[in-house]
Amino acid sequence: MTLFIQALITGLLNGGVYAAYSSGFSLIFGVMNIVNIFHGELIMVGAFTTYWLYTLYNIDPFLTLPLSVLSAGATGYIVQRYIINRVVEAPPMISYLCTFGIHLILANLALLFWSADFRTVTTSYSGVGFSLGQLTIPIARLITFFIAVCTTFGLYLFLEKARYGKAIRAASQDKQMARLVGIDIRKVYALTFALGAAVTGLAGGLISTHFVIYPQMGLPYTIIAFCVVVLGGMGYIPGALVGGLCIGVIQSLTATYLTSGLSIAITFILLFIILVLKPRGIMGKGIVE
Amino acid sequence: MRKALFPAVLLVLLLLPALKLEGYYYRMLSTIFLWIGLASAWNLTSGFTGYIDFGSVGYFGIGNYATAILMTKAGMPFVPSIAASGILSGLVAQFIGRHTMKLRGAYFGIATLAFAEAASQIVMEFDRTFHITFFEGSHGITLPIAHEETFFYYTFLIVVSLIVLTVFFIDRNKFGYALKAIKEAEDSAELAGVNTRFYKVSVYAITAVMIGVLGGINAYWLTYISPLDVFSVIHTIHMIIMALFGGVGTVFGPVAGAVVLSLANEIIGAKLLYTYLLMLGIILLVVVIFLPRGFIGLLSLRRFKK
Repeated sequence: MTLFIQALITGLLNGGVYAAYSSGFSLIFGVMNIVNIFHGELIMVGAFTTYWLYTLYNIDPFLTLPLSVLSAGATGYIVQRYIINRVVEAPPMISYLCTFGIHLILANLALLFWSADFRTVTTSYSGVGFSLGQLTIPIARLITFFIAVCTTFGLYLFLEKARYGKAIRAASQDKQMARLVGIDIRKVYALTFALGAAVTGLAGGLISTHFVIYPQMGLPYTIIAFCVVVLGGMGYIPGALVGGLCIGVIQSLTATYLTSGLSIAITFILLFIILVLKPRGIMGKGIVE
Repeated sequence: MRKALFPAVLLVLLLLPALKLEGYYYRMLSTIFLWIGLASAWNLTSGFTGYIDFGSVGYFGIGNYATAILMTKAGMPFVPSIAASGILSGLVAQFIGRHTMKLRGAYFGIATLAFAEAASQIVMEFDRTFHITFFEGSHGITLPIAHEETFFYYTFLIVVSLIVLTVFFIDRNKFGYALKAIKEAEDSAELAGVNTRFYKVSVYAITAVMIGVLGGINAYWLTYISPLDVFSVIHTIHMIIMALFGGVGTVFGPVAGAVVLSLANEIIGAKLLYTYLLMLGIILLVVVIFLPRGFIGLLSLRRFKK
């Protein structure tokens, strides 16, 4: 029983981070109808920003998060502004082949500069945790969890309440009407992409504090993000939180009772079932293409 | 003139071994044939229907493993083994396609990508999880060494010619028109009475049979396979880029793309893999943004203008 609860806690803590980077994926999809295959590379950019600042200047990983946000956000903005805006009106096939090309470029540039080595950010408080009865809760991961969940929630609030958030939602609901009421669609798209990428970069920074990072880490994260948002409902931000926590728990249980290597296989089987049975996600609020 | 080109090239290739070239050249030509086959097969589903498959390598891996396991564990001869590889791939595709082909656009792309990654993981972890010896996990499987290079040269030549011919004939009959109708306007095609679901799933299974057979030959040719090699997502990337580079949705576009890029891979990829992949990414972007019809498209456009 203790083992089960421990696995559950680990799963929820991971799930919070999944939710944070998947909400960026969901936002980009919901507004532009683009499945962003280089999403994992944005995580990588955020994670490496934290890693280098920690390794070279010894700055605490949690203090460098704003810079992870900035670097990933800037990457997202530039790519959207100069590449994806050219194909945003083209059939969806073109836009995701495009993001696939960017995935290849970013991942291999990172490999050329930083080599394929596995790296970790090990701080003085890594692995320090407090116990609750027989359970252990690592402090760094708990902080990570809170930041991640707050970010997801903040993104949701921004879209619901802020003026720019409303413009983004207007653009996603009806492009023509949004144009008519004076919203600059291309600007909104670039902003959305930057926002989605920034949230993802933040999650990347958080990931670097307790997972191994390497230039090719992106693709599995992209697949997980896709599973999370399909589970929670594509384009529906609170869905990313629910989906993230679900996937986190399922993976953690798989790792505990089967082998950790099978986690993606199990996640995929789940994705498959959801796509077939409930394409709008478990909450029934997603967008179906 | 153009009609005679295909038989002429085929004849030259059939007679080539009479020159008694060094083994290296057969290996290189066999590699090129393999990629012509894979890119053409990929193009048959994705190029004709517009459903971009990111998980084709799944069928390549299944083909590799089916042949390897049948030959080493069941002692089956080579030819029935690769036939079984094709059939198994086709059956898996029938199942996967029936569900994923309901999805549009990117949903299909990522669902297939996840399928291939999951297949790779299952082969990798199955033995360790259930404590048996079947897929051999990360150790990989070693196949018997039996034939000289010319045997594989001819095997690939025959199989790949059949694949290209199949694509050629599909392009020109009702089946092909249905696929193109799906690409242009799926809902209208459905309204016009095309059974889109049947055509989509069938073509997906045909593609998988082709890729599975090529995978089977690949296993016996390389004599050693491991999940990370034969399920590598790089193979899918290659199929996509070769087809796009030459001209997606045409018969000979992927053939041309495969020849050019296999040679590029031979020259650059072996030494500078990352630079090569970086280059592929840039090519992909340039082709998608500026030349959506590929280089074949560029040529035919020019002729059209004259």
